[in-house]
Amino acid sequence: YLQTPQHTNYQPHSVLVPANRYLLEEVPHWLNVYFKARPDLDHKLKWDMFRLAELDCYNGMLTRLFMQEMENIVMRYECYRSALLVAMQKFVDNTSAVNKE
Amino acid sequence: SLTRQPEEVFDIICKLGEGSYGSVYKALHKESGQVLAIKQVPVDTDLQEIIKEISIMQQCDSPYVVKYYGSYFKNTDLWIVMEYCGAGSVSDIMRLRKKTLTEDEIATILSDTLKGLEYLHLRRKIHRDIKAGNILLNSEGHAKLADFGVAGQLTDTMAKRNTVIGTPFWMAPEVIQEIGYDCVADIWSLGITALEMAEGKPPYGDIHPMRAIFMIPTKPPPSFREPDKWSAEFIDFVSVCLVKNPEERANATDLLNHVFIGNAKNPSILNYMIQEAHEIRETQSYRNISTTANVVGLKQNITEESDEEVALGNQTMVQCTDEGTLVPGKGGTLSGSQSGTLVELESELGTMVINSDVDEQTMKRHATGSTQGAMNYRPLFLAQFDKKDELKGNGVTSPTTLDGPEMSVEEQQRFQSHFHLQLNQANPAPHHHPPPQHDYKPQFHGPFSDGDFEFLKYLSYEELQQRMVTLDSDMEREIDELRRRYLIKRQPILDAMDTKRKRQQNF
Ligand SMILES: Nc1ncnc2c1ncn2[C@@H]1O[C@H](COP(=O)(O)OP(=O)(O)OP(=O)(O)O)[C@@H](O)[C@H]1O
Ligand SMILES: [Mg+2]
Repeated sequence: YLQTPQHTNYQPHSVLVPANRYLLEEVPHWLNVYFKARPDLDHKLKWDMFRLAELDCYNGMLTRLFMQEMENIVMRYECYRSALLVAMQKFVDNTSAVNKE
Repeated sequence: SLTRQPEEVFDIICKLGEGSYGSVYKALHKESGQVLAIKQVPVDTDLQEIIKEISIMQQCDSPYVVKYYGSYFKNTDLWIVMEYCGAGSVSDIMRLRKKTLTEDEIATILSDTLKGLEYLHLRRKIHRDIKAGNILLNSEGHAKLADFGVAGQLTDTMAKRNTVIGTPFWMAPEVIQEIGYDCVADIWSLGITALEMAEGKPPYGDIHPMRAIFMIPTKPPPSFREPDKWSAEFIDFVSVCLVKNPEERANATDLLNHVFIGNAKNPSILNYMIQEAHEIRETQSYRNISTTANVVGLKQNITEESDEEVALGNQTMVQCTDEGTLVPGKGGTLSGSQSGTLVELESELGTMVINSDVDEQTMKRHATGSTQGAMNYRPLFLAQFDKKDELKGNGVTSPTTLDGPEMSVEEQQRFQSHFHLQLNQANPAPHHHPPPQHDYKPQFHGPFSDGDFEFLKYLSYEELQQRMVTLDSDMEREIDELRRRYLIKRQPILDAMDTKRKRQQNF
């Protein structure tokens, strides 16, 4: 699994600041595992074995994983927020129904 | 001019404000008697980068761009000497007067701003941090673009950087998505800034920045909260700035020919507003001299004290940033301000009035001050149910939800303009050390388990309400935990890269 990822060139020609090179790159499974795992065993991974360009890539990918998980968190809370709103709305509806009687 | 000690060359007069990168002072150039502004930025690592950026700023010579004269090193600080703009930033003026701007004022300011942007864009420079806080006015009312804190020349090195930096509420969708961008990213930010000047805050400005980050690219472009209050020309201007597809967005030159900009007046129409802001500043400094003098009971340099006050108005929210999520640490100068001053100032914080016609509705909508926040929460919150359609549909609440009731209007403003995304920063924010390994505990259990909201049925209204109040801070705890894990996991990679680079240099 140590193959170097190829950088896909993803940029319309007019763009001055290029796209994040790791945006469309598939994140290797092991990096996913590494990101999720408890850190106790992290020292077993010998990062020195990689070339600089590879490290740069994994670093970029890790940031992407971070952003993805952040999005997950935010979206879970979005659902929670709407569920709360719905539950609160029920109280409001009930109150106004009672008032009408 | 890096050789002489800056204090031999300048007299610091007072502090003007504080931003994400450092503090800004008013100073006197001893030799010429010229008044200047000096930004003091603590430098830790990337000196090369900074020096390069300054040389870029120095190349700019336009009446619509704040002039940079040079820089000095003083201990660990870099002093950046620039043109002084006596009236401060547009957001300062709004905050001081607690008033948003009229269409004429906005058109006049935008006209100069667009000329500045046209100047930069023709030279292939992207500003990258356009917002009311970075548009400065001189005492004649001329607007100038400031703060290339994150602007950079578009060179090869830029490609390497690839970091998401900016202030999320003003960020163009393509910048957030990291799919590549060019100068028209500034035009999106300008559209947001126009809304900010009209309404006192950017769209989504009162929701959690992390939610905003995911909303900006997914939702249709924002517009005015109350479209009836604005002219068709203004609405059109904003809508051509806020086109999501950058290829279809207008550029600065197009916009200079827009009807709305054609309505721009002479800068002298801003005099009244500048004068008023100036007087408020003076009163605040005066009041501060008396309070602090009493509270502290020390004979202190009066000038210095009054500076502290001006600075305080611009203080970063240490209270709000201490979760540390993604906010770069600041010098924590808040401790330097006496509590007496803080209390005094707090009463000053109020609601931002939309223009001068103060209809009750507007007042109510903006009355989300911190002190009454918790108590007023219910009725204010229920008012949101009127917008039911926005709640249903996509499960995303309307941008006007009253999140974070513990933040005052003022605090929110600070938060908005100083919340910078710096994910890829080589050094984590100084205030937010990545904890040592043993500190890693993903123990925080959120207030719910995924997808199962059945239990909410059994809660009382008050309990639901309580949950709504703490929602943002719960979310922040989870994000913070994630961020800690990210920093821990990334560190060995960065270390290995460092070692390799050093080795390469040695050969
Ligand atoms: N050249 C200047 N002349 C006069 N006042 C200035 C000048 N530059 C900055 N200021 C004042 O100092 C304040 C802080 O400026 P600074 O650029 O450090 O932060 P900011 O614009 O608020 O935020 P950010 O760091 O995100 O740009 C401004 O709000 C403004 O009031
Ligand atoms: Mg600034």
